[in-house]
Amino acid sequence: MRTRLSVAFAALAALTVIPAAHAAAQQTDGLEVTVDQPRITTVIGDRITIRAHVTNSGSTASDPLIAHLNVASLTGTYVDLEDWTAAPTQHLEPLGGHATTALAWDIQAVNAGRFDVYVVVLPNGPTSSGTGPAMASSPVEVTVAGKRTLNAGGSLPVVIAVPLLLGAAALGSRLRLRRIRAH
Amino acid sequence: MTTLVNGEIEETARQQAPTRSRGDWAVVARQESRDLWLSGRGPLLLFAFSVLLSVFTYLAATNQAINFLEQREAVDLTLQIAIAVGVLVTLLVSADALSGERERGTLESLLLTPVSRRAIVLGKLVGALTLWFAAFLVAIPYVWVLGRGVSIVKTALLLGLGVGTVLAVGLAALGLLVSALSSSNKVSLAISFFLLLAFFAPSQLPGGLPKGWFGDVLGKINPVGSGLHYSTAVLVHGHGWTRDLAYLISPLVLAVLASAVLLVLSERIVRLNAGGER
Repeated sequence: MRTRLSVAFAALAALTVIPAAHAAAQQTDGLEVTVDQPRITTVIGDRITIRAHVTNSGSTASDPLIAHLNVASLTGTYVDLEDWTAAPTQHLEPLGGHATTALAWDIQAVNAGRFDVYVVVLPNGPTSSGTGPAMASSPVEVTVAGKRTLNAGGSLPVVIAVPLLLGAAALGSRLRLRRIRAH
Repeated sequence: MTTLVNGEIEETARQQAPTRSRGDWAVVARQESRDLWLSGRGPLLLFAFSVLLSVFTYLAATNQAINFLEQREAVDLTLQIAIAVGVLVTLLVSADALSGERERGTLESLLLTPVSRRAIVLGKLVGALTLWFAAFLVAIPYVWVLGRGVSIVKTALLLGLGVGTVLAVGLAALGLLVSALSSSNKVSLAISFFLLLAFFAPSQLPGGLPKGWFGDVLGKINPVGSGLHYSTAVLVHGHGWTRDLAYLISPLVLAVLASAVLLVLSERIVRLNAGGER
């Protein structure tokens, strides 16, 4: 009896959830996100532009959308997205049927290594917000060559020579003053 | 400390008596600078300053994990240390300028020379500022070592010179005002040091200043905090030179206001006894 009741409740729950999920899926039906190029090679510190297109191949307008850029390291480097771009998220107006919109992110390569940079589009309508589904573009493989601009050896002449020179000058002025006072 | 040891002021007084010359302040400034640098105080302060910058630069240069942005932050931090310590020593030297002379008994002879009190404070202000400019010169190689790889040396140096000079003028004038009005040298130095701490403390709050209009106003009226905020905005966040100009208003107001009050009131506040007879 207990098992039958559980099955009945589960069936009822499924019946209430399925239409909601189906409705959410409808908001993004026919939407596709693509990136312009498969790979980029750059040097640390350089700025690169990631371009993407969101296409609505359906005949009805989509809900408002959110397009979010993400950076994933392929080599285990810690990635702080805020360092790469101050504005990873873009809010899009509803996209009309058979319409395409172009997006671009100007990002700065702040770590050396290999990264996958991709764009995720999510619905953000009054009923679809927070329900997904998320659509991801194929990744742009970004290879960032390191450029060691700071090294201990390069800084040594300055960090040693400057205090030595100033210390010698301070000592010299003290000794000179003492000699004057002694006379 | 301006004395009559080399007779320079005496000589000027003889040549130009009974009228006061417009260049008197330059004579006082030259004498102040000579005292500061030849007495060993200036070189010793610069030596300590360079040791501090050396330690910091070496730690940044040996950090293998530092990324591109963190290197810009390291340049910004070096510049902030240079400005903060540079203006601190300038403030302390100016805070000693009048109250120190009073305590050492040399102010009386200075006041007896045919140099206006305005020329005396202006000369002392310029003398104290030589310490700031020397500190800035010492900071140049450190900024170069840390910033050459990320191409921000020129920007950093221009920012340091501009923001630091405005702050140094304002705080040196404030230090001289405190020095003129303080009953003793200890009081003058303590008040000046407290003022500087009060200016720096808000920027050290965990998480920064509170968000919203109150925090924004508080951040902008603090001349030291807003000056340093401007340099960080340009150097680290890549903002244009004009985008955050509002943050330079309070340092400029402090520099102009403190200098003007000092020069206007100099005839009344430069006295043998603070608050007593002239």
